[in-house]
Amino acid sequence: MAFNNQDKIGNSLEQDRAWAESLLNKQNLSQLNASNTEVPIDYFESFPDKLMSSIEEQKREKLEKKKAKIFFLPSFIKPMNRWAVAAAFIILVGGSFIFLNSSVSKKTGASMLANNINIQDISIEEIETYVEANEWIAEIDVQAQIQKENAKLSSLDEKQIEEIQKIINQ
Amino acid sequence: MASDQELIIQFQESINREANFTALLKKHQQKVYYQIKRMVTDHADADDIAQLVWIKIWDKLDGFKMESEFSTWLFRIAYNETLNYLQKQRKQGASNSSSDLLDYENATASSDSPKSTEIQIGLERAISQLPEKQKVVFMLRYFDGFDYEKIASIVGTTIGGAKANYHQAVKKVEHFITQL
Repeated sequence: MAFNNQDKIGNSLEQDRAWAESLLNKQNLSQLNASNTEVPIDYFESFPDKLMSSIEEQKREKLEKKKAKIFFLPSFIKPMNRWAVAAAFIILVGGSFIFLNSSVSKKTGASMLANNINIQDISIEEIETYVEANEWIAEIDVQAQIQKENAKLSSLDEKQIEEIQKIINQ
Repeated sequence: MASDQELIIQFQESINREANFTALLKKHQQKVYYQIKRMVTDHADADDIAQLVWIKIWDKLDGFKMESEFSTWLFRIAYNETLNYLQKQRKQGASNSSSDLLDYENATASSDSPKSTEIQIGLERAISQLPEKQKVVFMLRYFDGFDYEKIASIVGTTIGGAKANYHQAVKKVEHFITQL
């Protein structure tokens, strides 16, 4: 029986419909279709506008998502951990700066110590030779100082000389 | 009126994209909506799914190569989206076979269509209990008058499979009605 019915399938649309109607009642099928095709008033008229505004909104959301893709730190680092990362970075930079500076100053100190010569280690002969060689420089310095003071005194007028004398007398 | 192919070519060449898309939409929106509504019965659900379908069409239309008819491609997307929607609903526990039936009865009871006989109610209940594929095949063949080749492409089966689904659907509904 089922085989006979299956033979009736697919010969033509009209035959398929007729077979279904013979078993399920044409009137009931048309009523079923009527209940399935009911829609609110103006639904199909308003649907295109509603859909196009949804598409526009979707476009805007996609654009905003694209714009928002700026990463300062990898996304797997949680917000709280970002402060820890920043602090570690500062400590690293600061620490290396202090370390480098201290090693430089140590080096400088060591070299100063290496160049530091105690006066006791210099022989008397060496000192005497140095003084003899630089004695005329010292003399020139003294002479230049005396000349400078004399020049100052000669530029004083009488009133200034009297005031200086008063101060000396007091 | 421009053919589907002309509208799609113009859309793909970025000539009045929105206008061409809207023309396609207006041409096919009713059949898409009815196909969905026959599967879900509730208008709000059908409306949500229809929007998802057309948004998908907007996104994918640039890549449509016209190897098949646009309407076949469109109905296939509608069928798959509806199945996804129903599966999600079932997973969420919001829907099961008994609540489906209740929804179906509520939806049809609220309509103004005349339901004079017990057989009419029985028919609606029987169709709501059919497996999704059989239900769609029956609806597309009987109400929309699609050929089996097109139906097979939409539901993802062979022509023989589509014919068998139509036969099984009619027999199951008949069996349900005779038991009333």
